[in-house]
Amino acid sequence: MWRIQHEARASKEQAMRIISLTICFILAAAVSLYAAVGCDLNDPDRDVARLFPGSTGYKTIYVSIDKKGGKELLQRIEQRLGDSFQGIFETIDVPYTLYQVYRKKDLIGYIHGVNQKGQYGGIQVFLALDLEGNIKAFYFQKLTSRHASKFRDHQFGEQFIGLNLKDFNSYDVRSGKITGPSRVENIKNPVPEAETDFRASLRATKKNLILVDEFLLGNKYLKHFRTGGER
Amino acid sequence: MISLSQVAYKNLLRKKTRSLLTVIGISLSTWVLVSLLGFNRGYQSSLNRDIDQLGFQVLLTAKGCPYEAATLMLKGGTGLRYMQESVMDSLRKEPEVEGVTPMLMQALFDPNKGESGGITAYLGVDPQTFPRMKSLLQFRQGGWFTDPDAKEAVMGYEAAELEQREVGDLLLIPEKNVELKVVGVLKRTGTQDDGTIFVPLRVVQKVFAKENQLTGVGIKVKKEASIDRLEQKLYDLPDVQVVSLAQVKQTIMSLVSSAKVLVFSIALVAILISVVGVVNTILMSVLERLQEIGILKSMGAMAWDIVKLIWLETLILCLAGGMLGTGLAIATAHLTDILIRQLLPYAPTGGLIHIDLGLIFLTLAVMIFIGLVSGIYPAWKAGRVRPLEAIRSEVE
Repeated sequence: MWRIQHEARASKEQAMRIISLTICFILAAAVSLYAAVGCDLNDPDRDVARLFPGSTGYKTIYVSIDKKGGKELLQRIEQRLGDSFQGIFETIDVPYTLYQVYRKKDLIGYIHGVNQKGQYGGIQVFLALDLEGNIKAFYFQKLTSRHASKFRDHQFGEQFIGLNLKDFNSYDVRSGKITGPSRVENIKNPVPEAETDFRASLRATKKNLILVDEFLLGNKYLKHFRTGGER
Repeated sequence: MISLSQVAYKNLLRKKTRSLLTVIGISLSTWVLVSLLGFNRGYQSSLNRDIDQLGFQVLLTAKGCPYEAATLMLKGGTGLRYMQESVMDSLRKEPEVEGVTPMLMQALFDPNKGESGGITAYLGVDPQTFPRMKSLLQFRQGGWFTDPDAKEAVMGYEAAELEQREVGDLLLIPEKNVELKVVGVLKRTGTQDDGTIFVPLRVVQKVFAKENQLTGVGIKVKKEASIDRLEQKLYDLPDVQVVSLAQVKQTIMSLVSSAKVLVFSIALVAILISVVGVVNTILMSVLERLQEIGILKSMGAMAWDIVKLIWLETLILCLAGGMLGTGLAIATAHLTDILIRQLLPYAPTGGLIHIDLGLIFLTLAVMIFIGLVSGIYPAWKAGRVRPLEAIRSEVE
């Protein structure tokens, strides 16, 4: 009799375990999937060391426009970008991952990536920046294009090295034209027929630099935007 | 001339407090009964709906074929095994099968995803059967494919977010150099569908040169059918593996069965309490009115008339209590739902208390039956009263 009761209890406990596990699994999946997709390095240990040779460590911080300054900040960013945030994925609540890179105890620079809509898929543009906001390395983490290999070639990325937000202030992301003297005009499109992805790369770079300026550099380049001609 | 029902009604009004308390007692029992039966129906139908919305309960894949996108990714997009499309015909013949939907998963290495490349997976689905089976899926933008041969894609929320795709955008299948037009973006589901790119089956078969081949078949089993029995039959098919939700479903259903026994036990106790209450009230009423019943009989009333009168009083009490209790159960259904959700370890989505007209009529029929049963003894006792003895006892 005791054995039967014991078995019945054990079977009920097992049933409860299965139900609980199922529910936990569903909830865990739901929770993990509900986190909005930002733009993280796929392998930060490897990528930080590659983008910042000589670095010994990094710290990751997460910021969203929503939490940092809300609609007012979004408006300013859009104004500086010269374009509004588009579509259903470029939104105020996107979490941005910023990597502060260290050599021993000294902060030596930043790495930041953004998502950008390309012709055939999402483009992820990462920039490695020194403490002044100058580009040290340009990296397409993801790019779906018929000519992806040409864009991912180091020659294309090298054209961005040394540029900063001041250079991009005169680049109009909507028309793809440069409205004043800027080193951006030296950036050549390696595949003229892939103009959409070329311009998407430049828009992503400008957006990336603006976000770093807002989030990390204390709006160091804002004065150039306000006084620098049209922008 | 005053009717029998009017006499019964007036009799009940003579002891208003007692009649009211009896009605309240019956209504509380009815409330419990309706709520429990409503819960029994609501829980089961919500659970069935949840299970239905999972789509298919059984997935048939070629032996050794990874059946989840995550496993496919871990294997580097390799290791796919195939079944012939003809397997669908034998599946459709099984009496347990309500519907089948064919699927073909294909994965490609994309060198431009990350530093070392990545895998992109495409799930070819049948535009006729898949959307019907996966009725849970809702669109954030657009809809399903316009044509079985259209080079179109429907993207899960996560996939669309990662690729920054919206309806009208293009999608490129790398290596194959095939463009797909995005016609739909799904809402989040919390399942692996969020990361899936759905493409019409025939297009995937053609693009990847896998005509008449499938990696999986989703099988929806009839509600009343045994998944176990179907599984046993499927195991006999050569070179297939069976992935089933049967264990989860059966565990939940066995818990529901246990809950059912509990529910009916409580309902039975509630009914017994109300029966005793009614018998007590009516019997008291009969005993108090012995002289009156004696006079009625001496004036020519037959035993059956007295029985009818007492039974009618019982019925009025039971029907009034039944209607009040049903109204109470309907009014508090939402509150009961919230309370039950606090207590249960697992509650399906949707309403847990389902009270419909059928249940209301059933409850009122039960209350009438209780009234008839409860009234038997007091009515019999009243019917047996001898007029002279009854009048004399009062005089004494």
